Amino acid sequence: MVAIEDIRARARTLLESGEVRAVLGYQRGSAGTLAEPAFLTEPQQAASLVWDPTCIHNLALYLVNEKKRQRTQRSNDKRPLAVVAKGCDSRALVVLLQENHIDRSEVVILGVSCEGGGVIDPRKLTRALAGRAATTVAMDGADAIRVGTASGETTLPASELLADRCLECARAYPELYDTLYGDKAEGRSYSPRFAALNTVAEKPLDERRAYWNAHFERCIRCYACRAVCPMCYCDECVVDSTEFVVTPNTSADEKANRIRWIQRSPDASESAMYHLVRAMHLAGRCIDCAECERVCPVNIPVRLLNNVLEREALEAFEYVPGTDPGLPSLISSFRDGDPNDFVR
Amino acid sequence: MAEAVEVRKVAQESGEFEPKIVAFLCKWCSSAGSDLAGVSRLQYPSNAVPITVPCSGSVSPIYILSAFNKGADGVLVSGCHPGDCHYLKGNFFARRRIYLVQKLLQFIGVEPNRFRMSWVSAAEGTKYAQVIADFVKDLKPLGPHGKLGAKR
Ligand code: SF4
Ligand code: SF4
Repeated sequence: MVAIEDIRARARTLLESGEVRAVLGYQRGSAGTLAEPAFLTEPQQAASLVWDPTCIHNLALYLVNEKKRQRTQRSNDKRPLAVVAKGCDSRALVVLLQENHIDRSEVVILGVSCEGGGVIDPRKLTRALAGRAATTVAMDGADAIRVGTASGETTLPASELLADRCLECARAYPELYDTLYGDKAEGRSYSPRFAALNTVAEKPLDERRAYWNAHFERCIRCYACRAVCPMCYCDECVVDSTEFVVTPNTSADEKANRIRWIQRSPDASESAMYHLVRAMHLAGRCIDCAECERVCPVNIPVRLLNNVLEREALEAFEYVPGTDPGLPSLISSFRDGDPNDFVR
Repeated sequence: MAEAVEVRKVAQESGEFEPKIVAFLCKWCSSAGSDLAGVSRLQYPSNAVPITVPCSGSVSPIYILSAFNKGADGVLVSGCHPGDCHYLKGNFFARRRIYLVQKLLQFIGVEPNRFRMSWVSAAEGTKYAQVIADFVKDLKPLGPHGKLGAKR
């Protein structure tokens, strides 16, 4: 069991001693059941921290964003940030460390294990409650989730409410941490890894094309999936010409002649390009926190595009992202025994 | 009307459809190989538009996707044989990356035969001609590709 009191106590000590600049964690949200990310700077705020299956967000994102923000600030407070990290969040931190985007001294990791549980998928919850609003959500033993609504409590099987990624998660504990809360539970038994991916990958080619074309057609290119991704930290993004970096020295010519590889119009073919490019840029880096899929306003299964490369990386290159900060990255390394028979 | 459809079908079956291929050839091997095929006066289909790149490792996935979106029916990436890269290991990086791009394209429903990679050295003019001839032969039955994500 994760004792939330321990996390609060640790957060309080860290803030009191001034060791960290702030603690990133979860607090009760003001809109609906879901917990919301909390940015605590005062010791007495530590009491507001919570930990339950509604702590969905990947907090690594806020670390990245804070780093971005700090670059534009005058303050030179170099103290680290403390982050509450689930298994998947900690894997995101490992990738950021691997890429030298952050330094180990910049972060204090309060690792929490999901043990037998995980986090819920808000869409599944809404469906299960047939639109009624949940007031509380808590794990009830290993395989059940207790949901409270205005009209009383119900207990639902965990496999009906947990997010797909949690159902498939093999290592529901942090890879890297300074302090660990909860036990490292092995052998979870919800669904096999890549179960959601396989339902699509096993369709015949024509159906797969129809499936994705229909989704690409619907994408409104709000870029929410990119904005929520802790790995999409570049200042300049190739998919979006409004983000090209312009300095006082950039000439008008340069601005006009930048190659616009992908048009901004949400046209199916341009959206396909966007999604494929994003999937490639996340190859070997995506740690499957599935935030992209959660934030999509039109329910596009963005996660599967990343999953397919994750599976290839595992099967063809035995590469598992987010395990070891010292490892060379998937795309910047190779082995003599890499598949070669697909080449003519 | 029915007749017109019939005619078009026959036309396709008799090989009227000429696929457009964009071929990214590395400067040191494959591009030289294609030159050799030319100066040796080898007969091979003229469907491929060659684009010389410094190294197969410099072919970004975005080039490939872009080629498809701008009307290519097939895309080829060709470089030096493993171990022969002018930059020592560019083609090893390329091999990994291209492998992933290929799997991703197949996943979204692009026929496996529309995209391929080959190793062609500067001495292999005949191999280059063969690679292109095979590619054209495999592309013909597939018909035009259209853009990614577009209805066909
Ligand atoms: S994916 Fe795994 S580590 Fe992440 S929240 Fe779900 S169970 Fe926990
Ligand atoms: S996939 Fe969804 S979240 Fe991403 S850009 Fe398209 S509509 Fe927005």
